Amino acid sequence: MIRKFVGAVAAALALMAGLWLMIAPWALGSQPDNADWTDITTSEFWTGLGVAVVGLAGAISFALAIHEELVKRGLVVVKPRKVEQPEPEAAPAAPQASSAELASLLAPLVEALREDMNRGDRAGGEHRQNGKATLVGVEDNR
Amino acid sequence: MKAKLGVSALVLLFLGGLWLVAAPFAVGYQPRGAEYVDATVNDLWVGGGLAGLAFVALVIYAADALRELARRGKHAES
Repeated sequence: MIRKFVGAVAAALALMAGLWLMIAPWALGSQPDNADWTDITTSEFWTGLGVAVVGLAGAISFALAIHEELVKRGLVVVKPRKVEQPEPEAAPAAPQASSAELASLLAPLVEALREDMNRGDRAGGEHRQNGKATLVGVEDNR
Repeated sequence: MKAKLGVSALVLLFLGGLWLVAAPFAVGYQPRGAEYVDATVNDLWVGGGLAGLAFVALVIYAADALRELARRGKHAES
């Protein structure tokens, strides 16, 4: 465990050293402004970049190794990742109108029909009955 | 596996430190016999420090690994 920690610290320090190397030519004044990179700048910048990248990779590797060991020892509990549930299918669209609404919509029509039928009975049965005679026949009988 | 990757990084850092120490003379921006320029001093310090740090970290890693092996051996004997 301690050896991984030492490795992580060393790699992190190397990362900082790499970053310093990348800016050192400008910080120390060996790279003139607005001029092509000198040999010093080229060498230090690319070496610093490599050192920084390797240091970062090392620090991450050691940190992951420490985490793995802590999990193995039971000192760190890994939360189980939530398995993504498929999104429930959208509920079928509600019927446009419930039966109660339909009844309330049709009520005036039914009422009007009933009144019409009652009026027809009182008027002497002029109305034709379904299937008894043709409309033309009824009109002729008038 | 992850620790092995880290150890590989330490080895590379050690080699990088050695390169930094040699770079002023290998690249040629430090004339032989002349007083060290700023870049040379910087490279020598950073390179030497980096190589030393990586070396010490590798030694500690190896020593701790050996100690753990020895402890396991003791447990196995008893």
